[in-house]
Amino acid sequence: MQHQALYNEAFGDAEIEFLATQAISETQQPRFAEGKPADVLDNSGAQQIPLDSLVSDGELVELTPLLDAPSYDDPEVTVRETLRDGVLESGMFNGEFYVLNYVYSAWTIWYNAKLFRDKGWTAPATWDEMLALCEDIKAEGIAPWTYAGKHPVYLYDWFLMLAGRHGGVEVVRAIDHLEPDAWRHDSVRAAAEAMYGLWESGYILEGTPGIDHIQSQTAFNEDRAAFIPCGSWLPNEQSAIAPEDFEYMPIGVPYLEGSVQPGLISAGGEEPFVVPKNATNLAGAAEYLRIMLSAEGSQIFGDTVQATTVVKGVVLDNPAAKATDALVADPENLFQPRFRFWYKTMDDEVRAALGALMSGESTPDELIERMQTVADETAADDNIEKFTHDE
Amino acid sequence: MRHGKYPFILSFLALPVGLYAWLVILPFAQAFQISLTDWSGSSNQFNYIGLDNYVNLFKDENLVMPAIRHTAIIVVALPVITIALGLFFAFMLNIGGRSRQGRIEGVRGARFHKIVYFFPQVLSVAIVGILWQQVYAPQNFGGLITGTLDLFGLPAPVNGFLADKRFVLVSVIAVLVWSSVGFYLVFFSSAMASIPRDLYEAGIIDGAGRIQTFFKITLPLLWDSVQTAWIYLSIVALDVFVLVYMMTPDRGGPDSASEVVGGVIWKYAFNNGEQAFASALGVVLFFAALTLAVVSLRFGRREQIEY
Repeated sequence: MQHQALYNEAFGDAEIEFLATQAISETQQPRFAEGKPADVLDNSGAQQIPLDSLVSDGELVELTPLLDAPSYDDPEVTVRETLRDGVLESGMFNGEFYVLNYVYSAWTIWYNAKLFRDKGWTAPATWDEMLALCEDIKAEGIAPWTYAGKHPVYLYDWFLMLAGRHGGVEVVRAIDHLEPDAWRHDSVRAAAEAMYGLWESGYILEGTPGIDHIQSQTAFNEDRAAFIPCGSWLPNEQSAIAPEDFEYMPIGVPYLEGSVQPGLISAGGEEPFVVPKNATNLAGAAEYLRIMLSAEGSQIFGDTVQATTVVKGVVLDNPAAKATDALVADPENLFQPRFRFWYKTMDDEVRAALGALMSGESTPDELIERMQTVADETAADDNIEKFTHDE
Repeated sequence: MRHGKYPFILSFLALPVGLYAWLVILPFAQAFQISLTDWSGSSNQFNYIGLDNYVNLFKDENLVMPAIRHTAIIVVALPVITIALGLFFAFMLNIGGRSRQGRIEGVRGARFHKIVYFFPQVLSVAIVGILWQQVYAPQNFGGLITGTLDLFGLPAPVNGFLADKRFVLVSVIAVLVWSSVGFYLVFFSSAMASIPRDLYEAGIIDGAGRIQTFFKITLPLLWDSVQTAWIYLSIVALDVFVLVYMMTPDRGGPDSASEVVGGVIWKYAFNNGEQAFASALGVVLFFAALTLAVVSLRFGRREQIEY
């Protein structure tokens, strides 16, 4: 909202109508259908309008001109050059840039540094170290892992990064590109077996498949479980809830033995801002985004919500944010698996399949065959628009 | 006055009928139209693709077919169980007590029971959902039923009832029954109150027991009410969505084990951006509801008894 103040400093007589709502699809979809959408829309949260359908319906403005425009602070530098590496990827649909993901976040595994220090544990780097530590953790009466069982989507990046680290980014890219037998790759199988192994060994907090994200995060805050997979926003979200001395620290997914790309991490933009093609004030919309991407605009955001934006050089002074920054330092290792956002049926399927795998309802082989089937069906369906990562 | 009767009546009807046509009939008609297109819901462009959506509906083994099967189960189970329980409780509270000095009464504390049974009816569905979510929770997270079962050394699903494929649908139906039985108890009670007492007295004199009284006198005379209740409950059953949305993993899980038609319509319309496909399913649901109402009215028709 302070962004609007910045906008008004530049355009004194502009009146901005602002609506904050979670019910985005319910309130905004009819406006698209009517042809009178908002100028700028942060299409985020559980009730977002599916981006793939907005793009394939041609309802959005291609934002490359914004990227090539001079940045707000320095006319010599383009907007594109002020952004972090790898953040545009998630807004790309077949090489065209439609969605500006404003907030920078990474999917990591969290642990309580205070608890680990007190017990003399070291945060594991490899899967085997993690398994060895699980025994110690269990011996202390703490469950090694928990996750939001009711929303198995929290397992998605964990699983794909485990596979990607093992076999290299090509493995997960092949999955996104619906390549034949992509799911049957040995690394995917290894990842599925490793995660299934956690269930088999009883390393998951009992009852986890039946709890939601709030319950699992609360259990984690209470040190009932040692690890939880989540995005980098978690410490800020929990800052008012977690105990005073709780120290959120992130690690990348512990990698399997023989991993060829152990630093691979799923990171990129979140909070998708879009400009509808039928917006009344297209120029104003682009200018608003340009102001958001200015140094001042993104620092305001960072200070308010303690989260980094996609703009380089936002300084945050909390240890968790710094540790996350270190994990995403190497641009070669940044990759966001996208098929979940591109193909809705695969999204439904992968969540159900991962949920079943981690509660012992199905085996790794069943998961792989199930996902391969839906991937093949998606690839064969001419009515579904296909997307690729651009290289 | 006789002269201007129709214009007079019409002037009163025009507004409500107009509103009804505009806000109810028209959207229904539009759903039919939309179901023949490929409209995503977030554009004003679409093409007509004939009956493709309807054909594809029945090929969708991931969401639509499980949803149809589950909804069918609910449509059968919910009215049967609710009406049976409602009738039983109403009978016990009004007529089922011991007759003292020839007076026909309910069991002791009937008024109190009536109020208690009605409680769930005044709770909003959202609260009911949250409440029962906790009741069904895993034992490790304070689940009431799992905890109780464990206390008696009985086996309980380790992840709670809602995360277990075998129990999730039954659990949802149980909540539906729990929350509607109170209303039908009161509904049947008031209907029973209008049955003349002398019929019962005559029955008792002829030596009829409680069970005979119920099946020979009460039930036949309540037939109209039962029929009404049946239609209402069937419609509720076809519509059931909020509880599934609120309580179950991934809104219809685990792994589609509690998917219902209403929920799938919502998923396609707002999550998947396939408004047209959702409309086609909506049209199917509309006809299912219509058929159900017509059938139960036709075949449930009995001879009217004047009393």
